[in-house]
Amino acid sequence: MNERELVEKARSGDFKAFTALINAHSNKIYALARRLSGNDQDAEDIVQDTFLKAIDKIDQFRGEASFGTWLYSIALNEGKSLLAKQKRADLKPIEDYLPSNTAQELHDVSHLKLFDWKDPHEVFEDGELRKVLDEAIDELPYEYRVAFLLRYHEELSIKEIAGIIGESVAATKSRVLRARLALRDRLSGVFEEQYG
Amino acid sequence: MAKKCKDYVSELNDYLDGELAPELCQEIEKHVGKCENCRIMINSMKQTVELVCEGKPTQLPQELQVRLNQALKKRWDAKFGKQK
Repeated sequence: MNERELVEKARSGDFKAFTALINAHSNKIYALARRLSGNDQDAEDIVQDTFLKAIDKIDQFRGEASFGTWLYSIALNEGKSLLAKQKRADLKPIEDYLPSNTAQELHDVSHLKLFDWKDPHEVFEDGELRKVLDEAIDELPYEYRVAFLLRYHEELSIKEIAGIIGESVAATKSRVLRARLALRDRLSGVFEEQYG
Repeated sequence: MAKKCKDYVSELNDYLDGELAPELCQEIEKHVGKCENCRIMINSMKQTVELVCEGKPTQLPQELQVRLNQALKKRWDAKFGKQK
């Protein structure tokens, strides 16, 4: 039975059809929620609230997007509600991630050379590296965290992400880039400290 | 006027994700060949994504699955009426 048929059955009250739809996406939604929240308890709450909300709203699902995309949208809203208490500083403009605030040509500013990463696994135990990464992700403002994770963790296209978060393709691209630069910047600082 | 490093930075994601036009890729590669900082930037941006995606949790815990099924069934029955 394909997704459209399962959705039709679910909308008419077939619980088995609904669980088949949910089961096809539950691991992905859990993985996203775990990365978004940074802990098991919040991730479990996001997953449960997402699927309960999906039951409440199943009549409203019209199939314009795939069921998975629809679930992502709900999960991101649930995550936002749960994690709204988190306050994160906004990210810097793109040019500020260069080694000079005046954004000159990098190869002309040798005294502002970027730190060259070696293999982070050489200086961090696996558990420690994971902790550093989780903290770095957690420090991103929610909307940047979402864009980055959907792009690289869930491997969605920029266009798909733009549809889910309700932003333009250009704004979505910018969010993904700024999140990546911010994470790189944060990790670079940590690695430089460790190598030094 | 020649492009500056900051002009390339905004194209790096597309380059790294294989979504940049071939002529722009060549331009970036030419620039990176002579710019150490841009080489470092590209490598570390690539590594950033690789590290974040390493060991990502993918499995819904079994105990959560059980609790979830019970909670969903309860909500479903409340909405559609009890089913066998």
